Amino acid sequence: MFRFHRVESIKPWTIIATRVISVVAALALGALLFAAAGYDVPRLAGDVMRGSFDNMFALEDLGLLVSPLILTGLAAAVTLRIGLWNIGGEGQFYAGAIAATVIGLEIHADPALMLVVLGAGGFLGGALWILIPALARAYLAVDEIITTLLLNFVAILFVNYLSTGPLRDPGQAVTSATARIPYDIPTLVGDLHWGLGVAVALAIVIALILAYSRWGYEVRLAGANRFAAHYAGIPVPRRLLQTMLLSGGIAGLAGMLEVTGTVHRLQGGISNNFGYLGVMVAVLAGGQPIGVLPAAVLMGIILNGGIVLQSYGVSIYQVLALTGLILLFIAVGEQLAYYRIPHMAQRPTR
Amino acid sequence: MSAAPARNVVELIGITKTFPGLVANDAINLELRAGEVHALLGENGAGKSTLMNILTGIYQPDAGEIILNGAKVRFTSPMQAIAAGIGMVHQHFKLIKAFTVAENIHLGWNETPRRVNAGELERRTTALAERFGLEVRPGARIEDLSAGEQQRVEILRVLSRGARVLILDEPTAVLTPTEATALARAVREFTASGYAVIFISHKLDEVLEIADRITVLRAGRKVATLPAVECTHARLATLMVGREIILPHSREEDAVHRPGSVVLQLSGVSTFNDQGVPALNEIDLDVRAGEIVGIAGVAGNGQRELTEVLTGIRLPTAGEVRVRGKSMNGASPAEFLQAGIGHVPEDRLRSGLAPSMAVADNAVLREYRKPPIARGPLFIPSAVRKLARRIVDDARVIVPNMRAPVRNLSGGNQQRLVARREMRVAETALVAAYPTRGLDVGAIDSMLRYLIEIRDRGVAVLLVSEELEELLSIADRVAVMFQGRIMGTFAARHAEAEQIGLLMGGHAGAMPTEVAA
Amino acid sequence: MIELITGVLATALLAGGVLVLGALGEVLSQRVGVFNLGLEGLMALGGVSAIITVAHVPNAPLGMLAAIIVGLFAGAIFSGAVVLARANQTLCGLALTIAGSGLASSIGQSYSGQPAKAIFNTVSVPYLSDLPIVGRAIFSQSPLIYVIWIALPVALHWLLFKTRHGINLRAVGENPAAADAAGVPVTLIRFCYVTIGAGFAGAAGGYLTLAFVPSWSDGITGGRGWIAVALVIFAGYRPYSATLGAFLFGLITALGFVGQARNWIIPPAFLSMLPYVVTIACMIIPVIISRRLQRRLAAPAALGVPYFRDQR
Repeated sequence: MFRFHRVESIKPWTIIATRVISVVAALALGALLFAAAGYDVPRLAGDVMRGSFDNMFALEDLGLLVSPLILTGLAAAVTLRIGLWNIGGEGQFYAGAIAATVIGLEIHADPALMLVVLGAGGFLGGALWILIPALARAYLAVDEIITTLLLNFVAILFVNYLSTGPLRDPGQAVTSATARIPYDIPTLVGDLHWGLGVAVALAIVIALILAYSRWGYEVRLAGANRFAAHYAGIPVPRRLLQTMLLSGGIAGLAGMLEVTGTVHRLQGGISNNFGYLGVMVAVLAGGQPIGVLPAAVLMGIILNGGIVLQSYGVSIYQVLALTGLILLFIAVGEQLAYYRIPHMAQRPTR
Repeated sequence: MSAAPARNVVELIGITKTFPGLVANDAINLELRAGEVHALLGENGAGKSTLMNILTGIYQPDAGEIILNGAKVRFTSPMQAIAAGIGMVHQHFKLIKAFTVAENIHLGWNETPRRVNAGELERRTTALAERFGLEVRPGARIEDLSAGEQQRVEILRVLSRGARVLILDEPTAVLTPTEATALARAVREFTASGYAVIFISHKLDEVLEIADRITVLRAGRKVATLPAVECTHARLATLMVGREIILPHSREEDAVHRPGSVVLQLSGVSTFNDQGVPALNEIDLDVRAGEIVGIAGVAGNGQRELTEVLTGIRLPTAGEVRVRGKSMNGASPAEFLQAGIGHVPEDRLRSGLAPSMAVADNAVLREYRKPPIARGPLFIPSAVRKLARRIVDDARVIVPNMRAPVRNLSGGNQQRLVARREMRVAETALVAAYPTRGLDVGAIDSMLRYLIEIRDRGVAVLLVSEELEELLSIADRVAVMFQGRIMGTFAARHAEAEQIGLLMGGHAGAMPTEVAA
Repeated sequence: MIELITGVLATALLAGGVLVLGALGEVLSQRVGVFNLGLEGLMALGGVSAIITVAHVPNAPLGMLAAIIVGLFAGAIFSGAVVLARANQTLCGLALTIAGSGLASSIGQSYSGQPAKAIFNTVSVPYLSDLPIVGRAIFSQSPLIYVIWIALPVALHWLLFKTRHGINLRAVGENPAAADAAGVPVTLIRFCYVTIGAGFAGAAGGYLTLAFVPSWSDGITGGRGWIAVALVIFAGYRPYSATLGAFLFGLITALGFVGQARNWIIPPAFLSMLPYVVTIACMIIPVIISRRLQRRLAAPAALGVPYFRDQR
């Protein structure tokens, strides 16, 4: 009889290879489905790649999508490191955007100083938005997946309320949005602002903190085995709280950068699902901050594909469906990687 | 026993089963006769459980066949084995804790009525219990039962499904000596009425006492099958281990060995377990520098909680824990660590190690706060590797690679790693829970020597074990726990296994509670 | 005042029905040990399938059937991933939510915003519908209401707690190794009930678009799938409690509608936030009040844990 053996552990490169194969397989299945729906897939794929890389403008547009994805991906990744899920990146993104907008519209001061203040405000806004789920998770063991997620709906309603109500710019006749925020993130090239630099730098800093600080070791240990961390004398609830607040803050910072660097005013729908896609980025990256960078680029290309292909009748929804498929393939691939055909199994070592 | 050999109920022929990296069973033959108690003896990892899991349809063999009452059978699921009259009582009971006894008895059984209600199931359970002479409480939830009661539920479930072959996997491990005696009597009654029993164990004494024939397994192979009357303790030990077993004794050194002042002190300590049930009841206990205090008792009588309040993992709800006279009430595990308390936890993979992290990261788990690993807020990987290398070498752990996840190490290597790591930080005391559990005989020997070694350095050692022999051979004093209380404390050299056994079963008043140390 | 109470009660039953269906499906899934976080996606798929079906054949029960079948189909894929391949349940649930919502919105684009071509009509029960308050609130509803609020909870409670099969089923969620050893087909039971639970979620979507709203638009599920999951947790995995919880959420939703209709001072956006905020409060407050309560309502012990028989 033909049976598969499950092996205890697999090598890091097998994990990475499996992830790549999963993504490719999901994209291939997606392409097949698109082809079945009557699309000319090779042409679509060519358009997406051209739309992302063909010229400076395309690259700038891609960069504008990648920067918030790095940050929301990073936000989800840090919680994964301690074994938690932050599915509320969307809400924290909006909370950061709201905080930055209110501060930006109300306070008038030196622009350079204000950018720092806005950044801090965005971070705090995001952290505040996750505060209750974080406290409930850390000290009461209340499942954080549902609490963080439900706050997304609240944040979206709140942004709509603000941008159509108290903060609405009466000068805007057509769309409901706030007035323009009088501070801009300096640009890097063309339309691309320094948010990308901030995002990349933050990914590197967080990777360094996790690998080379006591706090990082404690977070990793608590993520690997909470009981062992408690045993080792680590205040686990405090680390859970800190990690979640950091995560919310990073997502909030993404919202602040988006609103001050790209959109310049607060309105409904500015997040582009960055919060949800951030979870995908983090999973693709295996929870590793540096892995978030390539994962965010990949997700950026896919998201950009939805925008580039609008003229073909492709929408953001197809793109979301495709990302869901990728996630499913990764989840299944992650497990299948542990199975071996018996004759391939390692020989007895004991 | 009888002149004509009884017929074979079960024959296993050439059973082979491999797991990745391990041959668990290598062409094993076994014959089980009607009406006999057949002991399956072997160390941990000798392949006993795998063989029985094959006989009960949980695993499929890679090669070999099963002959049942003369006919070849193939079990692809436990259901088929049960239907064929083979029932197993597992070492770790396969009971649903949140269910009642009656629900557990009727689980997965096609004779259970399709429509059920609690009263009806309990009535049926009572009837079954009477029929098989096993006393159970049908309406009680499993999590509220003692291990002995749970075992009766398991046996009742197996018998009620018409089992003619009963497999008992390490059945006495969770029982008090009194309960074990009762079990032995019950086993005798089963075989008298024609059942065949396979009795899995690694304890020589009980095997010699209860079995008609004994099959010894070693490293996945069958070594021999012998009638019990032809066996001696020494012969079985040699067959099982491949050499003679000698536990280290520390008694000879007693003349020069004088314990120092009290460094660990519990007065009136009470606490709850994870389920919110009282687990420790006004415990008073002193441990002196340079002495080993053994905690005897059946697992689950508060030992885990005792080690946890002594290391800051669990907070006492009443009473006081003192370390070198200083009150530790409300202290965190970090503060206990600072006070020089090492802790070899009961379940190393659950609480002592982070299985998915590197060997190096696990090795420094207790010392990462101190230089040279910590430099301010920094964590220095090169220093981590250096210290980890030292611990690994001291513990003689075989590590393919310091970056490999610690779960890749064998159980014995993990245990040695934890023990060495804890001995380094145990400047005041070491709290060791079942440090020899799951180790083979050679490893047990070196583990016990470790404990003697640090005791001789003047460290207080609290050793929790369910192996009485082990406690009596290396401890200076032995305290017996039952239902969260200390039933009595004895100087080990005056203690008798029989008296301790009685106390383990809660029979207090059988003797003075304190003999001067 | 009577008018208000009648309206609130009627709307609560209508709105809460979505949650009852979703929550009962999740009860089945979690009772056999699988966390299905994909409810939101399943509801969207069910909802859009129902709308598309009735657009072609204007028959509401047929639309509902389509919703259930699509729910079962998507559920079988999810089940295959988490039960057979033992993939991470959180990841697969999120994948199902994202892929399901995305797919539903992309195939539903051309149906968005149009009223359903067939809906579940209300039927007045003779005599009873003339009673004050309850007459209009309860006895002038679609017959589906009685199935959802009475028949299904009773049937599920009976299945779980009053049958032999129910014991086996719950055992799979509590301790699959023990159930396996007792001869219960663990994988089969898990696969079937997770799939059936997903069928319930599909039905919830069909109910949403054919009875409650009744039309299709993007994001119409609005987090109801997540609220249903939360409901199961604080209902202690019990069908009756989950149904009661769904009614309370129906009331909250109804209050929001009433507030909007009557121009209360509270901005409508805040009324719309209420179900989400209350859900979070319901997850946290009981734990603060009593840890003991939490223990009594404990989750199936093996919830979220994949089962490997050959594990060593």
